Amino acid sequence: MQPDAQLVESCLRGEGLAWEELVRRHTRRVYNLCYRFTGNAASAEDLSQEVFLRVYRTLGSYQAAQGGFPTWLTSVTRNLLVDHYRRTRRDRLTDSIDDAMPQLEEKKAPGHAPDRLAMASELSAQLQRGLVRLSPDLREAVILRDLQGLEYNEIRKILGVPEGTVKSRINRGRIELARILEEMGVRPA
Amino acid sequence: MDWNCIATEERLSDYLEGTLAAADASALAAHAAGCARCSALVARVGGLISQMHQVDLVEEPPHLIRGILDVTIGPRKQKQAWEGWFSWVPLVWQPRVGIGLATVAACLAIVLHAAGVNVRDVKMSDLRPANVMRAANRQAHLTYAHGAKFVNDLRVVYEIQSRLTPQTEPEAAPSPSPEPQPTTVDPREKSQATPHPNHREARRLNAPTYVLTKYTAQDWPGTTTRRRL
Repeated sequence: MQPDAQLVESCLRGEGLAWEELVRRHTRRVYNLCYRFTGNAASAEDLSQEVFLRVYRTLGSYQAAQGGFPTWLTSVTRNLLVDHYRRTRRDRLTDSIDDAMPQLEEKKAPGHAPDRLAMASELSAQLQRGLVRLSPDLREAVILRDLQGLEYNEIRKILGVPEGTVKSRINRGRIELARILEEMGVRPA
Repeated sequence: MDWNCIATEERLSDYLEGTLAAADASALAAHAAGCARCSALVARVGGLISQMHQVDLVEEPPHLIRGILDVTIGPRKQKQAWEGWFSWVPLVWQPRVGIGLATVAACLAIVLHAAGVNVRDVKMSDLRPANVMRAANRQAHLTYAHGAKFVNDLRVVYEIQSRLTPQTEPEAAPSPSPEPQPTTVDPREKSQATPHPNHREARRLNAPTYVLTKYTAQDWPGTTTRRRL
């Protein structure tokens, strides 16, 4: 499997297959970041397309010396999410979060023990409900650290703030999210 | 060290991730053991972090990747199912492939001819190794015989030609003769009594010389005329 840097060089030479490989490799991560931040599957889909369109147009500005391609891609995604958040601030207060959630698996009858997939799906949905109630700066920090699995150094580059600030936001975001889930009646496993 | 609830909240993530200094971690643990609020907080946040790390990535919609590729590099031409059957044709339909195949066919024809195989009537027995060796041996001998015959024929023609037109010896310097030689004397009327001091010249005059001349009507038809000099 070719490294991302080589695929980028191939894309800049006009090889369509290299671009297709990059898209297939990173679409799911970008979609998850957009979905977890917006809480809306349709918005996440539109934003994902917008992210890759911007990456495709500005691919020449990527420099491997400044960091890995996933970090640069996540930074572009985060910037678009911030712009989207500012544009849709008014609409968010009236939308119902449940209307934007994806279809969940049907719950089994109370007599049957829930299987693992159903529990995971329920947990994902409950987590999403709690995330959208966090403030944007805490939300993006928690998503990048605990759901995307990025290191503090990478998150520092993406957010453009000192590492101490990154740790502080992650810590406060976790505590706040735990408090929100407790209010919703979600107990930790 | 005095450890309070505020410090527990501020250093909670470092403690749960194991990056807190040993002394601070012990102080936090000791405080949490005696504080119900902090104990519940540590358990709640610790459980939340563990659950978030177990959550799988949400699957993207099935058409998302195709949609991204369409808006970036453009929509792709939809291939018909039957077009895949002939996808190899452009690779093969090239001049170099045709030249290569013709070369292979020519080499095969040469090899089969050398092996004595009749391409118009190939039999299974022709492909047996013993028969191939026998036919190749026979073909090699025939080829050698034809070549040897050709060389011998050339040699015979050369010998016949060399005998009919012998090499003339270089003439010596004319010695002073007592009588001047008449310039219009017919070589056939020259007297053989006239001595020549040059023995080679005498041998040349005495020895019969035959020259192939053109056929004349007085001769027998079909024969060459020999004119004695």
